Amino acid sequence: GLLLAALLVSHMLLTKEGVTSMPICPSGSVNCQLSLEELFDRAVKLSHYIHYLSSEMFNEFDERYAQGRGFIAKAVNSCHTASLTTPEDKEQAQQIHHEDLLNLILGVLRSWNDPLIHLASEVQRIKEAPETILWKAVEIEEQNKRLLEGMEKIVGRVHSGEVENEIYTPWDGLPSLQLADEDSRLFAFYNLLHCLRRDSHKIDNYLKVLKCRLIHDNNC
Amino acid sequence: DLLQWPQISKCRSPEMETFSCFWTAGNLYNLTVPRILQLLYKKSNEEDWKECPDYITSGQNSCYFNASYTSVWTPYCVQLASKNEVYDKKCFSVDEIVLPDPPIHLNWTLLNTSQTGIHGDIQVRWDPPPTADVRKGWITLEYELQYKEVNETKWKELKPRLSTMVPLYSLKTARDYEIRIRSRQRTSEKFGEFSEILYVSFSQMGIGCDHCTEEVEFPWFLVVVFGVCGLAVTVISIMLTKQPRLKMLIFPPVPVPKIKGIDPDLLKKGKLDEVNSILACHDNYKTQLYIDDLWVEFIELDVEDPDEKNRASDTDRLLSEDHLKSHSSLGAKDDDSGRASCCEPDIPETDFSASDTCDATSDSDQFKKATEKEEDLLCLDRQDNDESLSSLANTDLQRQHRSTQSENSHLWAPFGESIESPRPSVHTQISNQNSLASTDFYAQVSDITPAGRVVLSPGQKSKLGRAQREGCTEQNFTIDNTYFCEADVKKCIAVTSHEENEPRVQEQAYNEDGYFTTESLTTTVANLGASTAAPPSSEMPVADYTSIHIVQSPQGLVLNATALPVPDKEFNVSCGYVSTDQLNKIMP
Repeated sequence: GLLLAALLVSHMLLTKEGVTSMPICPSGSVNCQLSLEELFDRAVKLSHYIHYLSSEMFNEFDERYAQGRGFIAKAVNSCHTASLTTPEDKEQAQQIHHEDLLNLILGVLRSWNDPLIHLASEVQRIKEAPETILWKAVEIEEQNKRLLEGMEKIVGRVHSGEVENEIYTPWDGLPSLQLADEDSRLFAFYNLLHCLRRDSHKIDNYLKVLKCRLIHDNNC
Repeated sequence: DLLQWPQISKCRSPEMETFSCFWTAGNLYNLTVPRILQLLYKKSNEEDWKECPDYITSGQNSCYFNASYTSVWTPYCVQLASKNEVYDKKCFSVDEIVLPDPPIHLNWTLLNTSQTGIHGDIQVRWDPPPTADVRKGWITLEYELQYKEVNETKWKELKPRLSTMVPLYSLKTARDYEIRIRSRQRTSEKFGEFSEILYVSFSQMGIGCDHCTEEVEFPWFLVVVFGVCGLAVTVISIMLTKQPRLKMLIFPPVPVPKIKGIDPDLLKKGKLDEVNSILACHDNYKTQLYIDDLWVEFIELDVEDPDEKNRASDTDRLLSEDHLKSHSSLGAKDDDSGRASCCEPDIPETDFSASDTCDATSDSDQFKKATEKEEDLLCLDRQDNDESLSSLANTDLQRQHRSTQSENSHLWAPFGESIESPRPSVHTQISNQNSLASTDFYAQVSDITPAGRVVLSPGQKSKLGRAQREGCTEQNFTIDNTYFCEADVKKCIAVTSHEENEPRVQEQAYNEDGYFTTESLTTTVANLGASTAAPPSSEMPVADYTSIHIVQSPQGLVLNATALPVPDKEFNVSCGYVSTDQLNKIMP
């Protein structure tokens, strides 16, 4: 019975998309090099998983706190990463150079590092926050770090020579997460989660485009 | 009809490159005039509302935004308005409203069929919707396939998957199937529309068998067989198990037939004669459990319960000429105190043959005989007594010469004698219901003739004689503990004995107060014998009790010369019955 339960639990964990990585390089090996295809596969899996988590988290938050407060009407919200000019449609995405796109991806990921840390800590202060939201916030922050590392590896492989300027947008939304007024605070969370969902979708899309372009030669 | 405002029903992007919004006009007023309603839109970073660029491409009451107007991750707001009034407003971003078109080019190929040809596997393939640019990775779709038999109503669903082919296993070749597929963006929840239905028919391709219409039903036969075998194995294992508790739980022990009063050990030991004797008399015996005065233990009757009263008393049996047999149940009481048999344990020692002892039929006959003698367990009715007594007297007179020899075989038997005096009820074990004549309840049986007649001792004969003489007058009785004493009897005896007895015998009788020794009896008999055939004139009182000294087989009882000191005159006078109080006084 115990063995069966353990098997079931491990199966459930494994079927979560993109979480568990298949170790091609055994730990401790020095000269092991993953192929670019493998790196992109892992990156796409991670980005998909992050987008899935943030989408779920937003839906839960929306369901629990945002109903009846009219948050949806205030859809004209600006995310802190709006200053980064990222492709907005397919044409733009196809026209941008892959290195630039990679750098943009890195910039967005770096820009989210800070907000995710604070999100994980501040969401615990929300009154009666469900456990699912709490652990998702922590998980997203963790996975984002891993994706950042993977992207830096990819950039190191792909990039030919010069180190690009680091693209980065600072985040100044922490005070709004700590507002005394509960409505204002919750709206700040709502906005942040909405932006997170959108940006994770962007990154996921860009990586898939890059993967198809670079690995499969536009023939996924 | 209810008033229905114009409202935006939905906005949808099939490929994340364009989008369209659709609305309903409502029945507000006659808005059939086109273009009264307007759809205005605004991007998040803009200030002004712009009008819809294309009202036509997506059909009526729609607005189509082509690729140049579409920015994917940019928030939009659209509103439905007429000249002055805004009816509805919606805000969204394009990546949230993606609903892909259905897949196209569905087809199937046969993978293989089963050996019997009844089932087959197929592979279904399709192409992604043409509008979705999957090749460049701009959109990632997953597909859900549904299939069913043609005449079924409910669709079976497969899990959504990324690939554009899926195998279907174990389809029945005799049946036709329908397949449909729909798609959605991978991170979304909502599916797009279903594709066109694909029909699968095996017979068209020349596979499948027409005669293989029978289906493998649920193997009831096998289930039953295996179930029975399993159950049998379980039952056998339980029966053979060493665990008594489990065995008792599943198979509670069947209660063995228990015959009251029979010791199972006796049955096991296998003393057949004893068992037979016990069983034979069992029909007539019931446990004497409901006796009122159980403390009177030294009075023993062979008839123990009220039902028995309906049967002829032993005296009847003894006195009647037709049915006389030595009854092993005489004098035996069944107190159900764990005794093995319904009869006295002494009885088996007396070597009764099975046929003689406890003859059920004869006993039952005898018992049934005198129902009217219910209350005269120990005493006969006056009339009966007279008759029987006279007959007995006659027989005894004839057999006096034998009496000496048969002393050892005397049996005490209950014997009731009627006298002219009123009848006190004598206490017996069933006493309360009895009103008995004030008679002696025991008479010494001197002999039992082979013919079955009972020969009474001469002592009784004296009583008989006395009864005949009617010498005793009625007297008062001392009633002692519901004992009705035969005070008058004793007095009568005393009187008569005084008158007629020989002193020696008389003294003996008094000294022992009703207890005889064999010697005294012998003496008495001898004396009596010497007195020839005259009507019994000996006044020797017959003692009412004699304790049994020895039980001699087969039918002998040696009576004790019981030392029963008689301190009181009162005790002497009172009666032949000793109440417990008196007994307690007497006994050391």
